Amino acid sequence: MDFPISKSLDLSGVTCPLNFVKTKAALAQIQSGEYLEVLLDEGEPLLNVPRSLKDEGHTVMRVTPQDTRFKLIVRKA
Amino acid sequence: MPELDVAELKKVGTIQQRDKEYFVLRLRLAGGNTNSADLRTVAEIARKYGRGDIHLSTRQGIEIPYVPADKALEARQALEDAGLQMGACGPRIRVVVACQGREICKWGIIDTKSIARRLDAEYFGQDTPHKFKFGVTGCPHNCAKASENDVGIMGGLYPEWQPDNCTRCGLCVSVCPAQAIIQDGARFTLNEEKCLYCSICTALCPQNSWRRKAEGYLLTIGGTMGKQQRLGDKLTGLLTDLETVYKLVQKIVEYYRQNGRKRERFGQTIDRLGLARVRGELLDGFSD
Repeated sequence: MDFPISKSLDLSGVTCPLNFVKTKAALAQIQSGEYLEVLLDEGEPLLNVPRSLKDEGHTVMRVTPQDTRFKLIVRKA
Repeated sequence: MPELDVAELKKVGTIQQRDKEYFVLRLRLAGGNTNSADLRTVAEIARKYGRGDIHLSTRQGIEIPYVPADKALEARQALEDAGLQMGACGPRIRVVVACQGREICKWGIIDTKSIARRLDAEYFGQDTPHKFKFGVTGCPHNCAKASENDVGIMGGLYPEWQPDNCTRCGLCVSVCPAQAIIQDGARFTLNEEKCLYCSICTALCPQNSWRRKAEGYLLTIGGTMGKQQRLGDKLTGLLTDLETVYKLVQKIVEYYRQNGRKRERFGQTIDRLGLARVRGELLDGFSD
Protein backbone atom coordinates (compact mmCIF):
# COMPACT_ATOMS: atom_id res chain seq x y z
CA MET A 1 0.00 0.00 0.00
CA ASP A 2 1.30 3.44 -0.90
CA PHE A 3 0.68 6.33 1.40
CA PRO A 4 0.07 9.79 -0.08
CA ILE A 5 2.76 11.90 1.58
CA SER A 6 1.72 15.42 2.57
CA LYS A 7 5.10 16.47 3.95
CA SER A 8 8.67 15.15 4.10
CA LEU A 9 11.29 15.77 6.74
CA ASP A 10 14.97 14.79 6.68
CA LEU A 11 16.21 14.50 10.27
CA SER A 12 19.62 13.05 9.42
CA GLY A 13 22.09 14.21 12.05
CA VAL A 14 19.36 15.75 14.21
CA THR A 15 19.60 14.37 17.74
CA CYS A 16 17.02 13.74 20.44
CA PRO A 17 14.94 15.53 21.51
CA LEU A 18 15.19 18.11 18.73
CA ASN A 19 14.22 15.51 16.12
CA PHE A 20 10.88 14.98 17.85
CA VAL A 21 10.33 18.71 18.25
CA LYS A 22 10.80 19.11 14.49
CA THR A 23 8.54 16.12 13.85
CA LYS A 24 5.80 17.68 15.95
CA ALA A 25 6.20 21.01 14.15
CA ALA A 26 5.86 19.23 10.79
CA LEU A 27 2.78 17.33 11.99
CA ALA A 28 1.23 20.64 13.01
CA GLN A 29 1.35 21.68 9.34
CA ILE A 30 -0.71 18.75 8.03
CA GLN A 31 -4.26 17.60 8.62
CA SER A 32 -5.47 14.73 10.77
CA GLY A 33 -5.27 11.47 8.80
CA GLU A 34 -2.57 12.80 6.45
CA TYR A 35 0.88 11.25 6.16
CA LEU A 36 4.26 12.65 7.13
CA GLU A 37 7.48 11.09 5.89
CA VAL A 38 10.45 11.34 8.29
CA LEU A 39 14.04 10.23 7.77
CA LEU A 40 15.64 9.28 11.13
CA ASP A 41 19.12 8.15 12.13
CA GLU A 42 19.59 4.66 13.56
CA GLY A 43 20.05 4.22 17.31
CA GLU A 44 18.40 6.54 19.83
CA PRO A 45 16.31 8.49 17.28
CA LEU A 46 14.62 5.30 16.07
CA LEU A 47 13.80 4.32 19.65
CA ASN A 48 12.73 7.73 20.95
CA VAL A 49 10.77 9.34 18.12
CA PRO A 50 8.36 6.41 17.54
CA ARG A 51 7.78 6.12 21.28
CA SER A 52 6.97 9.82 21.57
CA LEU A 53 4.72 9.61 18.50
CA LYS A 54 2.85 6.73 20.13
CA ASP A 55 2.50 8.73 23.37
CA GLU A 56 0.85 11.54 21.39
CA GLY A 57 -1.48 9.22 19.51
CA HIS A 58 0.11 9.34 16.04
CA THR A 59 0.66 6.08 14.17
CA VAL A 60 3.81 4.85 12.49
CA MET A 61 2.54 3.15 9.33
CA ARG A 62 5.76 1.96 7.74
CA VAL A 63 9.44 1.71 8.61
CA THR A 64 11.94 1.23 5.82
CA PRO A 65 15.64 0.74 6.66
CA GLN A 66 17.92 2.81 4.41
CA ASP A 67 21.57 2.09 5.21
CA THR A 68 22.13 3.78 8.61
CA ARG A 69 18.80 5.61 8.51
CA PHE A 70 15.16 4.70 8.64
CA LYS A 71 12.32 6.19 6.63
CA LEU A 72 9.14 6.41 8.68
CA ILE A 73 5.66 7.13 7.41
CA VAL A 74 3.50 8.59 10.15
CA ARG A 75 -0.24 9.11 10.10
CA LYS A 76 -1.32 12.19 12.01
CA ALA A 77 -3.86 11.56 14.77
CA MET B 1 40.25 5.88 74.32
CA PRO B 2 38.66 2.39 74.16
CA GLU B 3 40.62 -0.48 72.62
CA LEU B 4 39.30 -0.88 69.06
CA ASP B 5 38.92 -4.33 67.51
CA VAL B 6 39.47 -3.43 63.86
CA ALA B 7 38.18 -6.76 62.48
CA GLU B 8 35.00 -6.57 64.55
CA LEU B 9 34.44 -2.95 63.55
CA LYS B 10 34.74 -3.85 59.88
CA LYS B 11 31.75 -6.17 60.23
CA VAL B 12 29.62 -3.19 61.11
CA GLY B 13 30.81 -0.79 58.48
CA THR B 14 33.43 0.95 60.56
CA ILE B 15 36.52 0.74 58.41
CA GLN B 16 40.02 1.85 59.28
CA GLN B 17 41.51 4.26 56.74
CA ARG B 18 44.99 4.09 55.21
CA ASP B 19 45.89 6.61 57.86
CA LYS B 20 45.08 4.43 60.88
CA GLU B 21 44.12 7.45 62.96
CA TYR B 22 40.85 7.66 61.01
CA PHE B 23 37.84 5.52 60.27
CA VAL B 24 35.24 5.55 57.52
CA LEU B 25 31.67 4.98 58.63
CA ARG B 26 29.74 3.07 55.99
CA LEU B 27 25.96 3.19 56.12
CA ARG B 28 23.40 0.61 55.15
CA LEU B 29 20.91 1.54 52.45
CA ALA B 30 18.71 -0.81 50.43
CA GLY B 31 18.80 -0.01 46.74
CA GLY B 32 20.35 3.40 47.35
CA ASN B 33 17.14 4.82 48.78
CA THR B 34 17.32 7.45 51.48
CA ASN B 35 15.44 10.61 52.38
CA SER B 36 15.99 14.23 53.31
CA ALA B 37 15.75 13.65 57.07
CA ASP B 38 18.39 10.90 57.03
CA LEU B 39 20.62 12.93 54.73
CA ARG B 40 20.45 15.84 57.16
CA THR B 41 21.53 13.49 59.94
CA VAL B 42 24.40 12.20 57.81
CA ALA B 43 25.44 15.75 56.97
CA GLU B 44 25.38 16.78 60.60
CA ILE B 45 27.38 13.76 61.81
CA ALA B 46 29.93 14.18 59.01
CA ARG B 47 30.37 17.79 60.07
CA LYS B 48 30.49 17.08 63.81
CA TYR B 49 32.70 13.98 63.85
CA GLY B 50 34.49 14.01 60.49
CA ARG B 51 35.65 16.79 58.18
CA GLY B 52 32.27 17.33 56.60
CA ASP B 53 33.22 15.06 53.71
CA ILE B 54 30.75 12.48 52.41
CA HIS B 55 31.54 9.78 49.87
CA LEU B 56 28.99 7.98 47.72
CA SER B 57 30.18 4.39 47.41
CA THR B 58 30.17 2.27 44.28
CA ARG B 59 27.25 0.28 45.74
CA GLN B 60 24.89 3.20 46.32
CA GLY B 61 25.99 3.57 49.90
CA ILE B 62 27.02 6.57 51.94
CA GLU B 63 30.39 6.73 53.67
CA ILE B 64 31.60 9.31 56.16
CA PRO B 65 35.40 9.45 56.11
CA TYR B 66 37.90 11.06 58.47
CA VAL B 67 36.23 10.16 61.74
CA PRO B 68 39.07 10.11 64.30
CA ALA B 69 39.61 6.69 65.95
CA ASP B 70 38.70 8.06 69.38
CA LYS B 71 35.39 9.38 68.03
CA ALA B 72 34.41 6.42 65.85
CA LEU B 73 32.24 4.61 68.40
CA GLU B 74 30.54 7.82 69.50
CA ALA B 75 29.81 8.83 65.91
CA ARG B 76 28.42 5.39 65.16
CA GLN B 77 26.20 5.59 68.21
CA ALA B 78 24.96 8.98 67.08
CA LEU B 79 24.05 7.54 63.66
CA GLU B 80 22.27 4.59 65.24
CA ASP B 81 20.45 6.81 67.73
CA ALA B 82 19.10 8.74 64.75
CA GLY B 83 17.76 5.52 63.23
CA LEU B 84 20.49 4.97 60.65
CA GLN B 85 22.08 1.57 60.29
CA MET B 86 25.68 0.66 59.65
CA GLY B 87 26.81 -1.04 56.45
CA ALA B 88 28.99 -4.12 56.16
CA CYS B 89 32.47 -5.04 55.04
CA GLY B 90 34.35 -8.36 54.85
CA PRO B 91 33.08 -11.87 54.07
CA ARG B 92 29.36 -11.35 54.38
CA ILE B 93 26.25 -10.28 52.53
CA ARG B 94 26.58 -6.67 51.45
CA VAL B 95 24.13 -3.89 50.73
CA VAL B 96 21.67 -4.58 47.93
CA VAL B 97 22.04 -2.45 44.82
CA ALA B 98 18.94 -1.61 42.79
CA CYS B 99 17.75 0.77 40.10
CA GLN B 100 14.57 2.81 40.49
CA GLY B 101 12.46 0.09 38.91
CA ARG B 102 8.84 0.14 37.87
CA GLU B 103 7.78 2.79 40.37
CA ILE B 104 9.88 5.50 38.70
CA CYS B 105 11.36 4.33 35.41
CA LYS B 106 9.31 4.05 32.22
CA TRP B 107 11.18 0.86 31.30
CA GLY B 108 10.98 -0.78 34.73
CA ILE B 109 9.14 -4.11 34.67
CA ILE B 110 9.52 -5.20 38.31
CA ASP B 111 9.31 -3.44 41.67
CA THR B 112 13.02 -3.34 42.45
CA LYS B 113 12.61 -1.30 45.62
CA SER B 114 10.45 -3.80 47.48
CA ILE B 115 12.68 -6.67 46.33
CA ALA B 116 15.78 -4.81 47.52
CA ARG B 117 14.14 -4.11 50.88
CA ARG B 118 13.15 -7.73 51.33
CA LEU B 119 16.59 -9.11 50.40
CA ASP B 120 18.18 -6.53 52.69
CA ALA B 121 15.89 -7.42 55.61
CA GLU B 122 16.43 -11.13 55.15
CA TYR B 123 20.14 -11.40 54.35
CA PHE B 124 22.10 -8.24 55.06
CA GLY B 125 25.23 -8.75 57.14
CA GLN B 126 25.05 -12.54 57.29
CA ASP B 127 28.37 -14.36 57.09
CA THR B 128 29.33 -16.07 53.82
CA PRO B 129 32.64 -17.61 52.61
CA HIS B 130 33.58 -14.35 50.86
CA LYS B 131 31.72 -11.16 50.14
CA PHE B 132 28.30 -11.76 48.59
CA LYS B 133 26.30 -9.19 46.66
CA PHE B 134 22.76 -8.82 45.39
CA GLY B 135 21.80 -6.58 42.49
CA VAL B 136 18.24 -5.89 41.36
CA THR B 137 17.49 -4.23 38.05
CA GLY B 138 14.08 -3.39 36.65
CA CYS B 139 14.55 -4.54 33.07
CA PRO B 140 17.12 -5.92 30.63
CA HIS B 141 18.63 -2.47 30.11
CA ASN B 142 20.44 -3.64 33.25
CA CYS B 143 21.29 -0.15 34.52
CA ALA B 144 21.85 -1.58 38.02
CA LYS B 145 24.25 -4.15 36.50
CA ALA B 146 22.52 -7.07 38.20
CA SER B 147 24.68 -9.60 36.36
CA GLU B 148 27.84 -8.22 38.02
CA ASN B 149 26.50 -9.49 41.34
CA ASP B 150 26.70 -12.89 43.02
CA VAL B 151 22.93 -12.98 42.62
CA GLY B 152 21.26 -10.76 40.05
CA ILE B 153 17.53 -10.30 39.67
CA MET B 154 16.34 -8.64 36.46
CA GLY B 155 12.83 -7.83 35.34
CA GLY B 156 11.79 -9.19 31.97
CA LEU B 157 8.78 -9.13 29.69
CA TYR B 158 7.93 -11.94 27.33
CA PRO B 159 6.10 -10.57 24.27
CA GLU B 160 3.66 -12.14 21.85
CA TRP B 161 2.37 -10.92 18.51
CA GLN B 162 -1.35 -10.71 17.72
CA PRO B 163 -2.32 -10.10 14.09
CA ASP B 164 -5.58 -8.23 14.74
CA ASN B 165 -4.55 -4.56 14.55
CA CYS B 166 -1.09 -4.99 13.02
CA THR B 167 -0.41 -2.71 10.04
CA ARG B 168 2.86 -4.55 9.22
CA CYS B 169 4.78 -1.30 9.58
CA GLY B 170 7.92 -3.26 10.49
CA LEU B 171 9.00 -1.01 13.36
CA CYS B 172 9.39 -4.05 15.64
CA VAL B 173 11.87 -5.69 13.26
CA SER B 174 13.93 -2.49 13.13
CA VAL B 175 13.97 -1.69 16.86
CA CYS B 176 14.48 -5.15 18.37
CA PRO B 177 18.06 -4.94 19.73
CA ALA B 178 18.53 -8.69 19.41
CA GLN B 179 17.09 -9.12 15.91
CA ALA B 180 14.71 -11.60 17.49
CA ILE B 181 11.69 -10.52 15.45
CA ILE B 182 11.32 -11.82 11.92
CA GLN B 183 8.71 -10.81 9.37
CA ASP B 184 7.39 -13.81 7.52
CA GLY B 185 4.98 -12.47 4.91
CA ALA B 186 2.09 -10.95 6.83
CA ARG B 187 3.16 -12.54 10.11
CA PHE B 188 5.76 -11.60 12.70
CA THR B 189 7.47 -14.27 14.71
CA LEU B 190 9.70 -14.19 17.77
CA ASN B 191 12.94 -16.14 18.00
CA GLU B 192 12.63 -17.14 21.65
CA GLU B 193 16.30 -18.05 21.90
CA LYS B 194 17.32 -14.51 20.97
CA CYS B 195 14.63 -12.55 22.87
CA LEU B 196 16.08 -10.39 25.66
CA TYR B 197 12.68 -9.83 27.35
CA CYS B 198 13.43 -6.09 27.13
CA SER B 199 9.91 -4.85 26.23
CA ILE B 200 11.09 -2.47 23.50
CA CYS B 201 8.75 -4.14 20.96
CA THR B 202 5.70 -3.93 23.22
CA ALA B 203 6.50 -0.36 24.25
CA LEU B 204 6.97 0.91 20.70
CA CYS B 205 4.48 -1.11 18.65
CA PRO B 206 2.12 1.56 17.27
CA GLN B 207 -0.87 -0.79 17.31
CA ASN B 208 -0.04 -2.77 20.46
CA SER B 209 0.07 -5.86 18.31
CA TRP B 210 3.14 -6.87 20.28
CA ARG B 211 1.86 -7.24 23.80
CA ARG B 212 2.83 -8.75 27.09
CA LYS B 213 2.39 -12.49 27.30
CA ALA B 214 4.15 -12.79 30.65
CA GLU B 215 6.42 -10.75 32.85
CA GLY B 216 8.69 -11.79 35.62
CA TYR B 217 12.20 -12.28 36.87
CA LEU B 218 15.48 -13.44 35.38
CA LEU B 219 18.07 -14.76 37.82
CA THR B 220 21.81 -14.73 37.30
CA ILE B 221 24.38 -16.33 39.57
CA GLY B 222 28.09 -15.94 40.08
CA GLY B 223 28.66 -12.43 38.77
CA THR B 224 31.57 -10.48 40.17
CA MET B 225 33.86 -7.62 39.28
CA GLY B 226 37.14 -7.17 41.13
CA LYS B 227 40.30 -9.12 40.41
CA GLN B 228 38.69 -12.04 38.61
CA GLN B 229 35.83 -10.54 36.67
CA ARG B 230 32.96 -12.72 35.65
CA LEU B 231 29.43 -11.98 34.51
CA GLY B 232 26.63 -13.95 36.09
CA ASP B 233 25.26 -17.07 34.43
CA LYS B 234 21.55 -17.31 33.71
CA LEU B 235 20.06 -19.70 36.23
CA THR B 236 16.61 -20.04 34.69
CA GLY B 237 14.31 -18.63 32.06
CA LEU B 238 11.71 -16.04 33.00
CA LEU B 239 10.25 -16.83 36.42
CA THR B 240 6.76 -15.45 36.90
CA ASP B 241 6.39 -16.15 40.61
CA LEU B 242 8.32 -13.89 42.98
CA GLU B 243 8.09 -16.38 45.84
CA THR B 244 9.91 -18.92 43.65
CA VAL B 245 12.62 -16.30 43.16
CA TYR B 246 12.97 -15.82 46.93
CA LYS B 247 13.11 -19.58 47.51
CA LEU B 248 15.83 -19.90 44.88
CA VAL B 249 17.79 -17.04 46.41
CA GLN B 250 17.65 -18.76 49.79
CA LYS B 251 18.87 -21.98 48.22
CA ILE B 252 21.69 -20.17 46.42
CA VAL B 253 22.93 -18.55 49.64
CA GLU B 254 22.79 -21.87 51.50
CA TYR B 255 24.53 -23.63 48.62
CA TYR B 256 27.35 -21.08 48.61
CA ARG B 257 27.75 -21.41 52.38
CA GLN B 258 28.04 -25.18 52.05
CA ASN B 259 30.20 -25.32 48.94
CA GLY B 260 32.17 -22.07 48.76
CA ARG B 261 35.74 -22.04 50.04
CA LYS B 262 37.09 -19.25 52.18
CA ARG B 263 37.76 -16.14 50.08
CA GLU B 264 36.27 -17.77 47.01
CA ARG B 265 33.57 -15.73 45.32
CA PHE B 266 30.47 -17.65 44.27
CA GLY B 267 31.40 -17.33 40.59
CA GLN B 268 34.68 -19.10 41.25
CA THR B 269 32.80 -21.79 43.19
CA ILE B 270 30.65 -22.29 40.10
CA ASP B 271 33.71 -22.48 37.85
CA ARG B 272 35.37 -24.99 40.19
CA LEU B 273 32.32 -27.26 40.45
CA GLY B 274 30.97 -26.72 36.93
CA LEU B 275 27.93 -24.65 35.97
CA ALA B 276 25.84 -27.65 34.90
CA ARG B 277 26.29 -29.31 38.27
CA VAL B 278 25.61 -26.13 40.27
CA ARG B 279 22.56 -25.29 38.20
CA GLY B 280 21.25 -28.85 38.49
CA GLU B 281 21.67 -28.90 42.27
CA LEU B 282 20.11 -25.46 42.70
CA LEU B 283 17.12 -26.19 40.49
CA ASP B 284 16.49 -29.68 41.84
CA GLY B 285 12.88 -29.69 43.01
CA PHE B 286 12.00 -26.30 41.51
CA SER B 287 9.47 -25.57 38.79
CA ASP B 288 7.83 -22.36 37.62
